[in-house]
Amino acid sequence: MLKQAWQRWLDRRLPRARQVQLDQRRIFIFPTGYGFLYLLVSVLLFFGGINYENNLILGLCFLMVSLFLVAILHTFRNLSGLSLRAGASRSGFVGGQGSVEVVLVAQRRPHRALWLRWLDQPAQEISVEPGEESALWLNLPLSRRGRVRPPRLRVESRYPLGLLRSWSLVSLDQVCLAWPRPQESHDCPADGGDRERQVASAGQSGSEEFQGLRGYVPGDSLGQVDWKGYARGRGLNVKLFEEPASGRLWLRYDRLEGVPVERRLSILCFWVQRLSRENRPFALALPGAELPPGQGEEQRLRALNLLARHGDTEAD
Amino acid sequence: MARIYQIPSHARGWLTLAIIAASLPQLWGGPLWQAGLLALVLGWRALMDRQRLVLPGRILRLVLLVATVAATFYSFGRLHGPEAGTALITSLFALKYLELVSKRDAYVLIVLGYFVCATILLFHRGPAMALYVIGCLILLTASLAGINYSDTHARRRQHLSVAAVMVLQALPLAIALFVLVPRIAPLWNMQLDSGQARTGMSDSMSPGQVSRLTESSELAFRVQFEGEPPPPRERYWRGLTYSYFDGTTWRQASPPGWEREQLFYGGRGPSPDWYRALIDAAADRTGYRYRVIMEPSRQRWLYALAVPFTDFDGNALARDFRLVADGPVNGAFSYTVRSVDVTGAVPALGDAERRLMLDLPEEGNAQARALAQRWRQRHRNDGALVQAALGYFREQPFFYTLEPPRIAGDTVDEFLFGTRQGFCEHYASSFTFLMRAAGIPARVVAGYQGGEMNAGDYLQVRQYDAHAWAEVWLPGQGWVQVDPTAAVAPERVELGLRGAFDSAADGAGGDFDGLNRLPVLFQLQQWADYVDFNWQKWVLGYRQQSQRDLLERLLGAVTPLRVGLALLGVVLVFSAVLGLLVLSRRRDTPVSPLEREFARLHRALAQRGLRAPDTVSAAQLEAAVTRRWPSAAGAAGHWRRLFEHLAYRDQGAPGAADLAALRRRRRAVLASLASPRRAQ
Repeated sequence: MLKQAWQRWLDRRLPRARQVQLDQRRIFIFPTGYGFLYLLVSVLLFFGGINYENNLILGLCFLMVSLFLVAILHTFRNLSGLSLRAGASRSGFVGGQGSVEVVLVAQRRPHRALWLRWLDQPAQEISVEPGEESALWLNLPLSRRGRVRPPRLRVESRYPLGLLRSWSLVSLDQVCLAWPRPQESHDCPADGGDRERQVASAGQSGSEEFQGLRGYVPGDSLGQVDWKGYARGRGLNVKLFEEPASGRLWLRYDRLEGVPVERRLSILCFWVQRLSRENRPFALALPGAELPPGQGEEQRLRALNLLARHGDTEAD
Repeated sequence: MARIYQIPSHARGWLTLAIIAASLPQLWGGPLWQAGLLALVLGWRALMDRQRLVLPGRILRLVLLVATVAATFYSFGRLHGPEAGTALITSLFALKYLELVSKRDAYVLIVLGYFVCATILLFHRGPAMALYVIGCLILLTASLAGINYSDTHARRRQHLSVAAVMVLQALPLAIALFVLVPRIAPLWNMQLDSGQARTGMSDSMSPGQVSRLTESSELAFRVQFEGEPPPPRERYWRGLTYSYFDGTTWRQASPPGWEREQLFYGGRGPSPDWYRALIDAAADRTGYRYRVIMEPSRQRWLYALAVPFTDFDGNALARDFRLVADGPVNGAFSYTVRSVDVTGAVPALGDAERRLMLDLPEEGNAQARALAQRWRQRHRNDGALVQAALGYFREQPFFYTLEPPRIAGDTVDEFLFGTRQGFCEHYASSFTFLMRAAGIPARVVAGYQGGEMNAGDYLQVRQYDAHAWAEVWLPGQGWVQVDPTAAVAPERVELGLRGAFDSAADGAGGDFDGLNRLPVLFQLQQWADYVDFNWQKWVLGYRQQSQRDLLERLLGAVTPLRVGLALLGVVLVFSAVLGLLVLSRRRDTPVSPLEREFARLHRALAQRGLRAPDTVSAAQLEAAVTRRWPSAAGAAGHWRRLFEHLAYRDQGAPGAADLAALRRRRRAVLASLASPRRAQ
């Protein structure tokens, strides 16, 4: 109950955003255990000074207390003005981990010894100097398929004296896609290219008709690069083949009748993975979504993302 | 087992330095094994950091701990008490450094360090040591900043500057707290006294004692007068009186059977008759007003000119016109006095008191008694008899010396008719004896005579100003001060002890020969003392009373509400000012002169209606200017080329001449914008 109220308050105070700049409304500050020990020592010195009637010890005590007050400002300052921006994200399979990039931007002042963590993961330490950006990848455990939003990120700092902890709970508008967990299945839920249904041979693209070359773009399969040509100095090109219609595999959701949804997706995922590993072209048909034939890393990611988003009503 | 040292290497240097600095004052005066222990720990630690040695095992550490405790007990005879406690804390501080592994250990070590700093201040209270402790504090804080910044890129000096800035920022508030936080009385008694012998007066006087004092140039107390101080020959600082003589030693005494209430008045309860009489006597007389700042004497006697009246803040007035502190003076202590000469206005001496002041041993010193009787027969008047006695000292061949021959047996006779060499004690003692033998009530007074003005501001009274003289009771006048030493050696009283020996050709002063030779050194010494005086007065001596006085002046009245509000206000104002300073945007960006120059043009153009985004480049700015004011294209191009040259060349930051050239070109740009408008 209390926790929910706290969450609601936080959501109002620190709404989800692509970029967040920390300011006094978003920074919390409280003494650490060591800070309390330090204050305890100051109090002891106060009584020592009073009892020994020693004004210098009292002075030392007052200096320590004022140093504590100054430390409040400096600890606050270390977080204040820091911007956090949602960066890229890396998807992963359910049960594994995805990761999310958080970019820290120091605009005006250095931000030192920042600890970033969420959930109960070990914190990562990072410092950003003024005018610089630093990126940090944070792992995100993926427990269910689909879009996974990272929890609130805890940005914490005890710099400079460790007497106080200032922190903020930042919610960055970031999404990590969780692909279905691949599940092995003997039958390929595909049509087109009937020959291939048993996927026994590791088909090489050699049997198809050579079409020509085009420039390499990142994501193209390395197996299709014209290495001989590259060695002769013709640049990095990819060989294009005319795919025989019969070789096109349409992985179809519909072909897995009677299997639960998540399981169907897992099986499709397994085949996407497998066909990609074998560098074979395929297409994917899901209810309401279709991926045209293609091959290579790009095609694999598209297929996996499509599988991950299946049933997702949220717009991009 | 692998241990991970969590203390970044760039922080270790400061930590080591902080430990050495904080331990040094204790090691300086402490037993030698402590220095050895610290050296052992530092050496071991250094080898450990270089992977040559491993962390000592638990057993070895335990052995070291037990050995340290045992050595402390051996050196000090106990483990409690300030000296032994400080030594123990300092040693444990060093030992803790040996087993430093985790960040938590470092935190504990640093907190211990703050404690060790406080123990330094227990024994050293000079301004220099206070500065030193602030230095230690900065080092400890730099270590804290270091261990909290585990980035390997961090630089050593960064931590020190962070710490220094923070401590300096904390100083103003610390001073305000020092002034405002109410001083409360000690909650329980903690005496620093550990049986160390201190120089000063003692409650008895037998030959030789004051001469030992005389050799010390240690400060006894300082006096700050409101208005003109009395001339040197009137500066008799009374400390205590000796009324009982047993033939060799003078002691303090009071008439038998008298209660404390009859002898002292501390401002509480009904005032006794003698005090009311004194007040009446002093009512319409002027006197000297001054404040005495005592050095710790470990004794209760306070010093003041004859018939002192005080506000009874921590002291009481005794019936024999001297001030007594409520407890031994162990720290800074000061009191305000109004001294009034009440000669002729005091009531008669009581019988019991008169008997005590005439008391002499049954026998002994027959020659002196005979001399007194002869004077008595010749002079009916007591005043004339006193003068005759002083004349006797003046005319007979008496010598003033600090190293008189030893006297035994009938000391008064031996001195008066034998050696005739002595110092104030001998003269005061034999004079008082003679007076009593002649039937005049008399007593010996011990205290200080003279003092030296520093910077025209206050008087320094040193241990070598210690003096003893006599007081006789004359009918109609009361107690009258008589200094037989002045009859023998007037320069002792006029010039002070140092002056007396400077003018003497034989150089019997020994120790004082070199003091006045170097005027520069002397001047320096005076300045140092001036600083020390104000330190004593404003820092060490800032007690309940002085705080009340100052706060009354600052706040109008001292009420808990006002002090509380003042404290709150100070903290708030401090936080606000510092917050603005620390968090202001302007101070954060390190702007180069070139960037400032760019920003000026940017701003100037914005005022003229050309709004360009903040991230605009020099070339884009030029293009924008050219588009809007084609006539300024040339000037803008000139400006852009120089700017880019200065910004991207390799020779480093532009010099003043470069910047001046750029400034001229900026003005040219702005001028060329303005001219077509005027033409229109």
